[in-house]
Amino acid sequence: MNDLIPVSLRVNGVRYDIAIRPWRTLLEVLRETLGMTGTKRSCGEGQCGTCTVLIDGKAVNSCLYLAVEAQGKEISTIEGPPEGDPALEQIQRSFVAKGAVQCGFCTPGMVVATRSLLSEIAEPSEDEIREALVGHLCRCTGYVQIVEAIQDAASQLAHKGGD
Amino acid sequence: MTYLKRLPRFEYLGPQSLAEVCGMIAGTSRDEVMLLAGGTDAILQMRRRERVPRRVIGLKGVAELDFVREQADGGLAIGAMTTLRTLLASPVVGRRYDLLRETAAQIGGNELRNVATVGGNIAGALPCADMSPALMTLGARIRLSSGRGDRWLPLEEFFPEFGRTVAADDEVLAEISLPPPASGGAGTYLKFHDRHSMDMTVVGVSAYVVRDERSRTFGDLRLAYANGAPTVFRAKRAEAVLRGRALTEEGLEEAAETACAESSPRTSWRANGEYRLELIRALTKSAIRQAWEKASSRQEARP
Repeated sequence: MNDLIPVSLRVNGVRYDIAIRPWRTLLEVLRETLGMTGTKRSCGEGQCGTCTVLIDGKAVNSCLYLAVEAQGKEISTIEGPPEGDPALEQIQRSFVAKGAVQCGFCTPGMVVATRSLLSEIAEPSEDEIREALVGHLCRCTGYVQIVEAIQDAASQLAHKGGD
Repeated sequence: MTYLKRLPRFEYLGPQSLAEVCGMIAGTSRDEVMLLAGGTDAILQMRRRERVPRRVIGLKGVAELDFVREQADGGLAIGAMTTLRTLLASPVVGRRYDLLRETAAQIGGNELRNVATVGGNIAGALPCADMSPALMTLGARIRLSSGRGDRWLPLEEFFPEFGRTVAADDEVLAEISLPPPASGGAGTYLKFHDRHSMDMTVVGVSAYVVRDERSRTFGDLRLAYANGAPTVFRAKRAEAVLRGRALTEEGLEEAAETACAESSPRTSWRANGEYRLELIRALTKSAIRQAWEKASSRQEARP
């Protein structure tokens, strides 16, 4: 059967008119149809957070979201917009500088979730950071460096904004 | 390996109004049609092939079911498609129904709460649902809509058996309604789960206490359980044990013992039945005590 349905997705500010099957998850469409492989697949159950993307600025697990239901919404991934996103880039620099990246598999999800956190709370407390990341597993770092990286990113961004 | 599986094939419909939903499900059966709210559990059920619907009706576009409203009588109305995040952020929930806020905050992490809905948590009819016990102890009623009209029923009558609701095939859960909070009332939801935000509830207990200020006794007590039985349920005999009595260690023991006798938790890889009973015993006592202390401190804080 020909089940392809036309869908228009906005990803990182760019519109993509594609034909997809309705049972495809947003994660599958991002990786396989649009070739954006920065978003990772791991548990497939909403436990690990590697597949996190933002939908209208809010972090969601893209493995549990139908692509067809993301129509008309603003999807943001680790790839970022073509014109660049200073906050997204600062977060990544801070992750590298603070040793928050080891194998790197959880990093895209962590970074994207941090992007959402810092847009809501400019300078979050350690508790707020840990609370925002409870849906993300990291098997390498033990989380301490990740928390430090986010604090660093927040303070760098806050100082830039204040200049 | 379930996690690698794609979803089964289905046809997708995305209605924009409740009336459209009712039209789409009229004359269909639940085996062939699945209503998809947030989907955080329903998508997993499909991935595991526990449900293989021919058609999926996605409800995310039905904006009229996304609301949290204070009612004229002082109660609360919650649209079924309200996300847990919206519920958590709602000022009226924070101010007057902190049991709901406390419960929603214990479910998953941001990624889940941004998508999962109150209605989906209830209508999935799973015994491990966390919102259902809290809402039951708050005296929730639910509105089922269909092309034939609306009907209201108490939430505690919604789950006849594991995984099922009394909704007919052409009915959809549209709204949850709560009475005004009782004076002297306070509630606590306690749950046990292995890995905090990432795991399913092993046992959850919601205790709602109405403290009689003058006599310093339980004016009312309501207890409801997640994973205490094949469905979420109220332990009414355990509730009756403490009504009219003061808070004592013996009373708590007796109520917890009665709650265990009313429970029939299952054994699964997550926990065996005996272990769950121990959790029910321990959490029942703690939840009642904490709810009681909350109610007392509020009464004392009043000018």
